[in-house]
Amino acid sequence: ILDDPDLKDIDPTVLKHCHAAAATCILEAGKQKADLSAISTCLEDCKLDKERIEQFCCEYQKNKDALEILLGSIGRSPLHITDVSWRLEYQIKSNQLHKTYQPSYLVTLNVENSDSGSHPDVSFSCTMEQLQDLVGKLKDAAKSLERATQM
Amino acid sequence: KLNIDVDTVQHGLEGLSYLLTESSKLMISEIDFQDSIHVLGFSDELNKLLLQLYLDNRKEIRSILSELAPKLPSYHSLEWRLDVQLASRSLRQQIKPAVTIKLHLKQNEDQTAQVFQTDPSTLLHLIQQLEQALGEMKTNHCRRIVRNMK
Repeated sequence: ILDDPDLKDIDPTVLKHCHAAAATCILEAGKQKADLSAISTCLEDCKLDKERIEQFCCEYQKNKDALEILLGSIGRSPLHITDVSWRLEYQIKSNQLHKTYQPSYLVTLNVENSDSGSHPDVSFSCTMEQLQDLVGKLKDAAKSLERATQM
Repeated sequence: KLNIDVDTVQHGLEGLSYLLTESSKLMISEIDFQDSIHVLGFSDELNKLLLQLYLDNRKEIRSILSELAPKLPSYHSLEWRLDVQLASRSLRQQIKPAVTIKLHLKQNEDQTAQVFQTDPSTLLHLIQQLEQALGEMKTNHCRRIVRNMK
């Protein structure tokens, strides 16, 4: 905003104060999920005139959802699984053991770290039985989720 | 107690373990085993004993040998937990469901556990993808290959 031609006549310090004040107000309103009447009351207490309050509230309403999404995404959480890749192979032999003849799965969980944006993917191998166990447990979790949403 | 010198015993043991390991590794049939040891000129009784020894221990030897092949950490087990995030420092009054997963992996006697989180839609996607993976072994293509490899 310091480069905006419309604002160049105003003292930069004042501009910064205004910007900071507006930002704080918006973030607090977003954080508390305040409704429009609460915001209006607050602004009235700050002695803003009706027209300005209406303009502010109108703009706020337009951007409220985006603001909530942004605020909700800030914070620490465990590594987040975003996707999974798998590979099925049939083992025939190794130099230590011949005639193995066994299917084997290689599973990679694509993981995202919200803090550093890095991708510390996790790979592991498993037999068919182990994969069935894994899928079974994930399905239990999904069923639990479904039951929870119906309560 | 055997009244034989140490070197002979050692050589005997080495020979025996080499015989059993190689036979197990190659998974040779009974007949092939018998033919192989026949050239050593031992008595019939001894040959029978050796064959029995081979058959009895083959499975275990093979499972030990399979540990030596190159491999990645393997799946051990999985624990899960359902969470709902209600608020955070930056946003109050949330309802954000999440599934927390603890994945236990094993590699050569070391067990590791890692904690992850995922959202409900990704969970369903994971299940769908992995079920597809499981179904692959039952397809005609895979069945044909398995049949022809034996």
